[in-house]
Amino acid sequence: MMLEHILVLNAYLFSIGIYGFITSRNMVRALMCLELILNAVNINFVTFSDFFYSRQLKGNIFSIFVIAIAAVEATIGSTIVSSIYRNKKSTRINQSTLLNK
Amino acid sequence: MKSISIYLSLILHRTDLLGPIHNFLLVFLGSSLILGSLGMVLLTNPIYSALSLGLVLVCISLFYILSNSHFVAAAQLFIYVGAINVLILFAVMFMNGSEYYKDFNLWTIGNGLTSLVCTSILVSLITTILDTSWYGIIWTTRSNQIIEQDLLSNSQQIGIHLAIDFFLPFEFISIILLVALIGAIVVARQ
Repeated sequence: MMLEHILVLNAYLFSIGIYGFITSRNMVRALMCLELILNAVNINFVTFSDFFYSRQLKGNIFSIFVIAIAAVEATIGSTIVSSIYRNKKSTRINQSTLLNK
Repeated sequence: MKSISIYLSLILHRTDLLGPIHNFLLVFLGSSLILGSLGMVLLTNPIYSALSLGLVLVCISLFYILSNSHFVAAAQLFIYVGAINVLILFAVMFMNGSEYYKDFNLWTIGNGLTSLVCTSILVSLITTILDTSWYGIIWTTRSNQIIEQDLLSNSQQIGIHLAIDFFLPFEFISIILLVALIGAIVVARQ
């Protein structure tokens, strides 16, 4: 029963992250919601590793790799957002052709 | 930190309080996760939403400690709260134009449609979770495990698995980190 409660909580975090990612007018808020989505998936992996694989720790290792990839993606994303802001002085997310020319 | 949790768990097993404290902490962390994620999405000030993201990440780290995954909890605390959240705060403060405080949340049709789609995703996930028989899967996977690894701690087992079974992904992660660092410096230098 506790496993299902944690999985429902993670599904809620995932859907809140998707909602915030789609309806954000700001690129930095979209990056933050992406981190929320990745963290919800990470809790799922660690919970399954705790319940099913408590001696082999397969989910734990995959969640370490997901944390590393999320760090890389946050770095690259904020670099691109800052270069967009430096060129065009606005971070509206519906102006997607800002990196042209 | 890990020895403190081991001593606490030993004491609480004696007085038969481990289960209720575990449940109470899970409920507390779950409610703070719910409130923090709602605050992150719905607050208009981007600095407030970045700080509530920090609260969510710290609560997730405490969640990992409750799930006997001490290494992942420490990695989450160092990498997510210490590096990624600080990076996001820098990005927010760097791009804090004058347009953000006047940008209050208008409830457009797109917002309503997205909330409908997200609620349907959530409802379908919840029905799938509640319909699956998890304890049948536990019985089939618990019988396949190697029992010789009982004396090692969590971090030692993760180190063994990373060095033997997952060596190639480990090297690829280091190459990815190097490439990302070089790329970020090259883009930011212009």
